[in-house]
Amino acid sequence: MNEFSRRGFLGLAGAAGVAGLAACAGTGTSPTTGGGGGSSNTIEFWSNHPGNSKPVEQQIIKAFEAANPSLKVKLVDAGKNYEEVAQKFNASLAGGSLPDVVVVSDVTWFNFALNKQLSPLDELLSTAKIDTSDYVDALYNDYNLDDKHYALPFSRSTPLFYYNKDLWKAAGLEDRGPKDWDEFLTWAPKLKAAAGSDKIVMELPDGSNYLDWVFQNIVWGYGGAYSKEWTPTFSDPNTVKAGTYLQNLAKDGYLKLSKDPAPDFTAGIVGCSMMSTGSLGGVAKDAKFPVGTAFLPGDGNCPTGGAGVGIPANIPDDRKKNALKFIEFLTNAQNTVTFTQATGYMPVRKSAVDLPEEKAFLEKNPNAQTAIEQLPKTRSQDNVRVLLPGGGARIGKGLDQIVQGQDVATVFKGLDAESQQVFDSQIKSKLGA
Amino acid sequence: MSTSTIVGTRDDEQVPPAGGQRRRRRTSHQVEASAHHRGPMWTVAGYAGMVLVVLVIAVPLFWILLTSFKERGDIYVRPAQWWPDPPTGQNYSELTTRIPFFDYVRNSVIITSATSVAKIVLGVISAYALSLLRFPGRSIVFLVVIAALMVPNQITVISNYALVAQLGWRNTFQGIIIPLAGVAFGTFLMRNQFLSLPGEIIEAARLDGAGPMKLLWRVVMPMSWPTLVAFALITVVNEWNEYLWPFLMSDDETTAPLPVGLTFLQNNDGVTNWGPVMAGTVLAMLPILVLFLFLQRQMIKGLTAGAVKS
Repeated sequence: MNEFSRRGFLGLAGAAGVAGLAACAGTGTSPTTGGGGGSSNTIEFWSNHPGNSKPVEQQIIKAFEAANPSLKVKLVDAGKNYEEVAQKFNASLAGGSLPDVVVVSDVTWFNFALNKQLSPLDELLSTAKIDTSDYVDALYNDYNLDDKHYALPFSRSTPLFYYNKDLWKAAGLEDRGPKDWDEFLTWAPKLKAAAGSDKIVMELPDGSNYLDWVFQNIVWGYGGAYSKEWTPTFSDPNTVKAGTYLQNLAKDGYLKLSKDPAPDFTAGIVGCSMMSTGSLGGVAKDAKFPVGTAFLPGDGNCPTGGAGVGIPANIPDDRKKNALKFIEFLTNAQNTVTFTQATGYMPVRKSAVDLPEEKAFLEKNPNAQTAIEQLPKTRSQDNVRVLLPGGGARIGKGLDQIVQGQDVATVFKGLDAESQQVFDSQIKSKLGA
Repeated sequence: MSTSTIVGTRDDEQVPPAGGQRRRRRTSHQVEASAHHRGPMWTVAGYAGMVLVVLVIAVPLFWILLTSFKERGDIYVRPAQWWPDPPTGQNYSELTTRIPFFDYVRNSVIITSATSVAKIVLGVISAYALSLLRFPGRSIVFLVVIAALMVPNQITVISNYALVAQLGWRNTFQGIIIPLAGVAFGTFLMRNQFLSLPGEIIEAARLDGAGPMKLLWRVVMPMSWPTLVAFALITVVNEWNEYLWPFLMSDDETTAPLPVGLTFLQNNDGVTNWGPVMAGTVLAMLPILVLFLFLQRQMIKGLTAGAVKS
């Protein structure tokens, strides 16, 4: 040991240094074709298993492999939520080994489509002679950019109006949701009196947890919108009216925002809320009171949400063909029923509700029935929320400020300007290109 | 020859246990005396502060433990339940059936031990070279290492991914471990520790004919034990909790560690059943807790050993 030379030590130290540098070096000079990895008869499916759906996904994959013995599907844990899947997909775009099928949410798909990282499906669909008219229109058209579709609907949800039936009874209200938001305002004092001082009439998620998603319902209900096509319309008098409505609810002590209203609602502290249909199973299981569900107030004012499945652009054509085959199978009437019954999502096919097992299921679960009946009344979301980078977060922040008491018109004017600027700088030049 | 035996010998030779105890007793007397001096008000305030801190830290932990034994319907209730009624082991069995929990544990152990060993070894030898060996360009090498410390790993993640994916290492242990094994922090920490050692001792050892290796093992390391243990502890905890990189690299339970695996208990759209999540958290915490209790003793031992030198 004593003979260990200084030169030897230099070598060691150098090696350590190199190892340290290796941790932060390495820019990929990725091969453009194939993206490495993945043979043509193995379909890699990157999913976050929306709604704890891994067992169901595996079940559907098994059925697919039985029907197509030459193909294998590899299910990959790609993250805990849609944002993480997008992150992982982004990383793979930089460095190869692309998946064949990837879950993209209503917020994440557009950026990939815009940058031509997802394949437009229309041509593939027509070559494979797949009829898309059976997909629920609002859901199918959510993935439309320049008359091309970049994903097929998979785990789709909508918000629902949840209410505590016991409280409704105590307040002497009919057992139904409000017809519109004006009616709710006449109910609110009664509900507050019945609820007592330590309970809250309505709780909604805050601006960093999709308040901007459910609030679209109120905006549309008053005839406003976040945007018309690509033009932000926050300053529209009707949109401002909806904002003022929200502010007044909070000012009068009827409304509270929280990170997640579901726990408070199931604990019986909150009278009603607007939450995803995905929460249905959990809320029904946890609550110790009868849970009521209703359409969102208004008619045809329900935003869609959730995720679809897309195919990366830079993979060989035969892989794309196989991937499409799998997607079609994953979202066919039979499987969308299997999937949605296990998770609480919406069936994405019109014909799904006619299947006997779905009929039996709905009879037993009237709350799920509400969600499905609401489906034809859904409306695709406004562009500035789902398609502009950071749109949801930007609007959510603005809504938080309104609820805290800042002037509605000023905040919305700011949102108009910001949204327009983001559109001009990041989207405009790429559209139609 | 393992390091611990060497340290043990040094302890026996240089720190007679009685002496150590005597010194400790003396310090505790001093503390008591000064407490008397300050009066009972301060003592009460001190204890109140201690209780407050314990509550702040312990209540959430207690709540996690409690929730892991509750039935699903009892988790969100008002008034809150402060004792599971009835207690149930259901969450723990669900934890092991709903996700391949033990696969994740195995992966976590493999990844944590491999990266920690690599980091500690690399950290110590590179720090030793940069502090006590003289060679041209030493300060430049050190600057480069420090510069690496300034780059947050979120930035390097994409290019690392590209590199590792091209090597075909996705969803493999080497793909996860090797990029994590770089050690700018350890190098920095240990170098400063080595520099703080009294030069006389190093010089004396050199005069006595100790080569670089012997100097490191017999002189430098034993005196740096507390820092090394602290560094080791931080490293192990960090690696155990590492999320982003293993998440990007792993595809399924063949390589994914616990923090990634536990997320699959949560429901990303809807209501999470927190019972099994809490059960998983409790089980994931245990190994680190045991390791900490064990290493903490080593750290205190090292502290007293270090106190003798001057």
